[in-house]
Amino acid sequence: MKTLRIAWLVARPSRAGLVLSLLPVVAFTVTTALLVVVLGGAAALWTTGGQVVNAYRMFTSIALSLLVMPLLGLGGAAARLAARRRDDRLATLRLLGAPRGQVSAVAVLEAAVLALVGAALGAGVAHLLVPAIGAVRFAGAPLGGSMRLSGAATAGVVLAVTLVAVGSAVLGLRRVQLTPLGVRLRTDATRTGWVPAAVAVGVVAAASVGVQVVGGSGAVTVVVVGLGLSFAAGIGVLNLLGPFVIRLSAGRRLRRAGSAAALLAARRVLDDPKGAWRQVSGAAAVSFAAVVVGAGVSILDVASRESLSAEDAMLVTDIRTGLVVTVVGAFLMVACSVGVTQAAAILDRAELSRSLARLGTPESVVESARRRAVIRPLLVTTLGSAVTAAVVLFPLTGLALLARPLSLLTILGSVALGVALVQATLWATAPLQRRAMSETP
Amino acid sequence: MTPEHSPPPEHTRGRPGAAAVVTADGLVKRYGLTTALAGASLAVRPGDSVAIMGASGSGKTTLLHCLAGIATPDEGVVHYGGPDGDVEVTALSDARRSALRRSQFGFVFQEGLLVPELTAVENVALALMVGGTARGEAERLAAGWLAHLGLAGMEQRRIGQLSGGQAQRVAIARALVTGAPLIFADEPTGALDSHTSADVMGALLGATTATGRTLVLVTHDATVAARCARTVHMVDGVVAADRSASPSPSPYTQPSAPPTVSPSAPPTAPPTTSQSGREDGR
Repeated sequence: MKTLRIAWLVARPSRAGLVLSLLPVVAFTVTTALLVVVLGGAAALWTTGGQVVNAYRMFTSIALSLLVMPLLGLGGAAARLAARRRDDRLATLRLLGAPRGQVSAVAVLEAAVLALVGAALGAGVAHLLVPAIGAVRFAGAPLGGSMRLSGAATAGVVLAVTLVAVGSAVLGLRRVQLTPLGVRLRTDATRTGWVPAAVAVGVVAAASVGVQVVGGSGAVTVVVVGLGLSFAAGIGVLNLLGPFVIRLSAGRRLRRAGSAAALLAARRVLDDPKGAWRQVSGAAAVSFAAVVVGAGVSILDVASRESLSAEDAMLVTDIRTGLVVTVVGAFLMVACSVGVTQAAAILDRAELSRSLARLGTPESVVESARRRAVIRPLLVTTLGSAVTAAVVLFPLTGLALLARPLSLLTILGSVALGVALVQATLWATAPLQRRAMSETP
Repeated sequence: MTPEHSPPPEHTRGRPGAAAVVTADGLVKRYGLTTALAGASLAVRPGDSVAIMGASGSGKTTLLHCLAGIATPDEGVVHYGGPDGDVEVTALSDARRSALRRSQFGFVFQEGLLVPELTAVENVALALMVGGTARGEAERLAAGWLAHLGLAGMEQRRIGQLSGGQAQRVAIARALVTGAPLIFADEPTGALDSHTSADVMGALLGATTATGRTLVLVTHDATVAARCARTVHMVDGVVAADRSASPSPSPYTQPSAPPTVSPSAPPTAPPTTSQSGREDGR
């Protein structure tokens, strides 16, 4: 009870702190709304397809696995944002003699409340969106109300989002020093070892060989299962490899940095390669998927030229629709994740930004550093994951299929869409950066 | 208070006969219903060290911000007598004031406000790189200044790996590396213990006024103010008292040949003198 009372005293929104409280709530709202819509769509598709219900289930599972990373990225960003607000007030509590455990409990409790409020709002938003998104046609009919999750399932999602927020807050606090003199991020750069990278390379090689073995059977089902497995292995590998590759790339850029913006950007990424990865990991997953999808689209293109039964033709159409919906959904999550992370970073560094402005640092230098710190890792990860996917798929599809114009168009189009969306998000957060550098915020 | 309560700007001290390097005349600055400056005037001569003191809310930081072109007053003018002649700071655009701060002024803040992910040498070099100096040259000059301020061997340390006093010396190096003739410091020792504070003030004075630069600092600490040649007291947004004092003897050892960095022409040789400042451990 004592912790609850303290939490209320510390966490109740003041006028000045309203924006800081609203931001994570909005982030949780967006996360939950997208999650409820995605799960609703998946649930509706689970029972669609008649004779080919298994095909629909498999493709739905693949789409869901594609959305896991961007969704975790967004959820994690929202949770970290919630956990890092109120720094001064938490420090004051320590100064007044509250033990570290109690202050941590207050921080976690606040993150949980913000997540719960945001998730509940998100569930409401999702239900409002159902009529619009339900118009998307699968199996010859609009999804409609069948994609509306039940009350119990929706409550489950809200609870799950809140739990993820609590978990992330607990993990986030490990990186934070709660001292009476202030709450600050630990100053040591995070480390990324080579062991995960070595494991990742091993998994890619194993997946590639595995795909070759199942691909040799020639059966369509085995080929599709092979695609699914390679996809799952690839996503896992990306998470292991991503931070390591980002660190290597930033290290190379640091050595070459000739301008203030390049130096700031490279150091910022090197300071937290895992954070930089988390921000763009969703885009990497989409880029990886784009190669798989590109190959799939080419297979479908070849297949649709042959005489197909009505049911198969419908499945081919639905797979295409599903691909578009999934890629758009995944990129929306990536854009939200970058937006939330950037907003949090700008607010966290406002004092430093203002001091740089006072020294006469042009706004363009700080803005350029901010953009570079996101875009360069984004390019490295999207291109890197596309290459990883191509390596895994190559034995199954061969170069001819991967290099078909339709495959390449799908791959390049998806990567370009991702980069453009992230650019747009950076552009959207630029006014916040300007305000942070201004003397009269 | 009204503008006429402030001493006229002609009351300049510092180098006798020299024209003021920075002059504020009748500055008024309001933040909503609060009047931070109510007609403050001040003139600072080249080579002077001026401590601005006063109670919280007396307007001392706002005066410093207006003098440095960080804030623009609602009324009154600020002139800067730089190497390129007289500039009316208050008439400049935001971008021009930014460029002026970059090339002509150096700043030291209470918490240092250094970029945490950069190393010490990169933090100092950044000030030059923003102005267009190549990285290699910027880091060479930065390392020279760090050595000059007793931080040799700590160039590659991140800011979190330095003590408060060491970090503040990095901030001083950053303020000086561009060759700025006028240094502004806002509570530069506010976050330090008295021992480290004396040490940092010694380094600051030794690297500024002792080398012909001008120092304007805001402080609450009478001991810090006593180290300056002149103390200005602010009350309710105006300069209420202005007196010169004999600076206390400094524990800082004056370097025989201070680094010479000119804002218009960066030096070809880095600072070569090293100063054995006390290491203030954390």
